[in-house]
Amino acid sequence: MHNDLDVIKSKAGEEIASASGLKDIHDLKVKYLGKKGLITTQLKTLGALSREEKKEFGKVLNECKNHIQDLLNKQEAILKTSELDISLKTQNIDVTVPGSSVPFGHLHPVTLVFDEIISIFLSLGFTVEEGPEIEEDFYNFEALNFPKDHPARDMQDTFFICEDVVLRTHTSPVQVRVMEKNAPPLRVIAPGKVYRCDSDVSHIPMFHQLEGFMVDKNIRMTDLKGILELVVHRIFGPNTSIRLRPSFFPFTEPSVEIDISCVICKGSGCNVCQTTGWIEILGAGMINPRVYEKAGYDPDKYTGFAFGLGIERVAMLKYGINDVRLFPENDMRFLKQF
Amino acid sequence: MKASYNWLKEFVDFKEMPEELAHILTMAGLEVELIEKAGNDIIFDIGVTPNRSDWLSMRGIAREISAILNLPMKDITASITNEIGEGPVVEIEDAALCPRYSSRIIKGVKPGPSPEWLSKKLESCGIRPTSNIVDITNYVLLEIGQPMHAFDLDKLAGKKIIVKQAGDANKFTTLDGEERKISKETLLIWDVEKPVAIAGVMGGGNTEVSDATLNILLESANFLPSSVRRTSRTLGLSSESSYRFERGVDKEAVILALDRAAELIVEFAGGEVTNITDKYPEPFEAREIVVPFKKINSLIGIDIEEDFIIKTLLSLGFVIERRGELLSIMPPSYREDAERDIDIIEEVARIYGYDKMPSTLPEMQMSSPTEHKLQELVKKLKISMVKSGFSEAINYSFLNPEIIDQLNLAQDDRRRELIYVRNPLRKEESAMRTIIIPALLNNVNTNIKRGEKTLRFFEISKVFLSAGKNLADEITQLGAVYLKDNATSLWQTKHEGFYDLKGVFESIFKDLKIKVTFSASQAEPYMHPAKSCAILIGDNKIGSIGTLHPAVADIFNLKGDITIAEIDDIEGLLDAASSKICFTSLPKFPSVERDIALVVNDDVTVSSVEKEIRGIGSDILEDVTLFDIYKGKPIAKDKKSLAFSIRYRSLEKTLTDNEVDEVHAVILKRLQDNLNAELRS
Ligand SMILES: [Zn+2]
Repeated sequence: MHNDLDVIKSKAGEEIASASGLKDIHDLKVKYLGKKGLITTQLKTLGALSREEKKEFGKVLNECKNHIQDLLNKQEAILKTSELDISLKTQNIDVTVPGSSVPFGHLHPVTLVFDEIISIFLSLGFTVEEGPEIEEDFYNFEALNFPKDHPARDMQDTFFICEDVVLRTHTSPVQVRVMEKNAPPLRVIAPGKVYRCDSDVSHIPMFHQLEGFMVDKNIRMTDLKGILELVVHRIFGPNTSIRLRPSFFPFTEPSVEIDISCVICKGSGCNVCQTTGWIEILGAGMINPRVYEKAGYDPDKYTGFAFGLGIERVAMLKYGINDVRLFPENDMRFLKQF
Repeated sequence: MKASYNWLKEFVDFKEMPEELAHILTMAGLEVELIEKAGNDIIFDIGVTPNRSDWLSMRGIAREISAILNLPMKDITASITNEIGEGPVVEIEDAALCPRYSSRIIKGVKPGPSPEWLSKKLESCGIRPTSNIVDITNYVLLEIGQPMHAFDLDKLAGKKIIVKQAGDANKFTTLDGEERKISKETLLIWDVEKPVAIAGVMGGGNTEVSDATLNILLESANFLPSSVRRTSRTLGLSSESSYRFERGVDKEAVILALDRAAELIVEFAGGEVTNITDKYPEPFEAREIVVPFKKINSLIGIDIEEDFIIKTLLSLGFVIERRGELLSIMPPSYREDAERDIDIIEEVARIYGYDKMPSTLPEMQMSSPTEHKLQELVKKLKISMVKSGFSEAINYSFLNPEIIDQLNLAQDDRRRELIYVRNPLRKEESAMRTIIIPALLNNVNTNIKRGEKTLRFFEISKVFLSAGKNLADEITQLGAVYLKDNATSLWQTKHEGFYDLKGVFESIFKDLKIKVTFSASQAEPYMHPAKSCAILIGDNKIGSIGTLHPAVADIFNLKGDITIAEIDDIEGLLDAASSKICFTSLPKFPSVERDIALVVNDDVTVSSVEKEIRGIGSDILEDVTLFDIYKGKPIAKDKKSLAFSIRYRSLEKTLTDNEVDEVHAVILKRLQDNLNAELRS
């Protein structure tokens, strides 16, 4: 009887291994383990055996049954996977077709540059303030030491709403508005739109500025240089150098223009920097005591610096934009690149 | 200001080549903007800042070079020897407007061409030579910075000069032949009968020097800067003279210039010079400035040697007296810009060189960071819009006033009350905008012309609503525009763009945790009356979404499915947006979902059905979601089918079918009663 079982076992092994479909597995299951299957019929012969034989043969028979069951399960799993693979392959889609979601839009480069610079100053403990764009002459000029009938006013072509109201020509009036309401120490930036009555290949009548100022005891001019150097390095990279040149703004004294080493030619001279290797990027200076006087600060006690940065200018240098008139155009071919 | 390299060299014997000199000047505050060749000379175009009128002459720039390079300066000298007879009679009526007037007469001149060297110098500095006498006055202007004028003495009635305001003389013909209207306050130069020059701006045709001129009266005067500036601006007439007088001219160089010019005229045009008349009621007195040594270094942040400070200030012409720790300083007459200690500190730092200055960081106290809430919210909105496919536009704040009449706005709409710019660059940019949408529609238009088919733009900017007295309420608004073009889209979605844009705003408000509702109404008159809605927080309208009104689309030459949206006042959302997140614990018991499909009249809105369902006020009703809208067969023509999924849940136990059925039946009954709804079979 043992011999019979061995034959069945090895036959089953061969047949299961060569099963090529789930249908074959099903048939083999019936053939060996079904009600009238070869193993099942063997079980039925147990009744005729002695107790001892029954125990021994029963154990062997059971092992054999489990063995076949096991082989069947394994082969079934293999066949299932391969049949699924085949059926999945027929369900192919073209994955190179673009997705159906709406592609992201683009922030305006002015916003990108603003965000970058503002976050640098926020990390330095500056706060953000705003002021009106339609501004009183007093804040835009008078309080910043631009007297009426003074040629300093020619430095900024002004849009007038009426005699005493203008479109602010710079973000500097925020200095006065903040000082009026707050006592020092101050660490403030004021981003926003400014207007100049000027329009040609290199000027647009509305552009963006970031004003920054700091007032405290013992603020030195070297601090102005240090802070701006830090900002320039963050925006244009640590290898960019800055240089301060004497200049004039009525509300700062000393006043400086700040140049950065040309980011296009790295200082060797090109069109953008007019072969000087330097590009003017912002105006700055130590706040003129006259501004403190208007605000009611004691100019003997406090010192501070202020600067104004043109955002379009930074964006042009940072991204290599060659025409300032692209900024207000809102051409998708332009916006898409940011 | 044009400056000649060769001419400067006549004053200071420097060795620097032009490029080097240009760099030195730039780093001292005389920004050389352009270097040009002119024959064997080099011309620098220097941007002179308005505070340094003393740099508006060769002598002034040379003085600066001598100080920077620490080289001696060969100054101009002039002396008139054989004076013949008395100087002219001069009377100043308005001394406040004319602090000094000096003059000489030169008799027996011979007008003619100037020597070549002189013509060349003028030309290279941008002044056209004419004839010797006028050329010499211009030459002295360039050389010393003192504007001068020569009158034909024989055309001066009474051979007398009177300096007084225009009064009733309301017209005057300047020597360029133009008759100019002048105001009462204009300061004029008169003879005994008539005005002969606009003081400090331009001479008159009536007393102009000509080829036939025999005798001249030479003027070297000083006029009040603000008065000259007002005159020049009201006349729209700027000259080399007015440019300098506006900025301030050295009162103490008046005689030097007069004598220099007289000397040159005698040399090149002949003639004999009279005595001088010099009206100078209040001679220049230097104002003392006191600067503590300590303050110089503490403000700049570096240690500059006292020796250097003193040497620098002396070389710049300041008179110095040392008083212990203090410096007493008298600025020269040509440095009226130096008024207080800070101006002196700047001079020291400037010559010391900012490039030698180290960088430091300020010592500062820690402080609690304060966020700018509006800026934060704006930033959040911008990012949400971008992630929804919209690109950010930034347009000019200007508005074409004609557009505002074409938006169907009500007569009393505040947006019609425009604030105008008095001097716009273009008439289309003559008002400040009260609305963002028109600019975005223009953006769509231009981009279509460049081949774009689908466009999504938004802008967050201020609009300017009149607040009286020419000032504005500046309100931060969001505008968005969406041009949907299904024809060229790969994933054709049949619904109108309205629903896409509404979906964007639903998500944005959800993200901001602001509960909004949408109410069907023509939210804005430039929106389609039947395809627009207001966005509400409670009962307050905070914005609107709608299809662009076809008539407005026509005005902007736009076609197609265009949806616009606005948030009226972003700052006004701050309170609603700052509501705190409050966690609700997760339900313990399972929910049961039941669908309900209804047939209702076409004019029954989804929100009214939802309202009715929620209106039953059952505490096991958890959520209602619309999942299908259908129109067409077999539904009757004027009806539609709406299908909702309703979710029931109890917080206390697992619901039984019976409990749910009961509530569901109440809902159906209510819909049948109140909305005439039928259950779809
Ligand atoms: Zn370059």
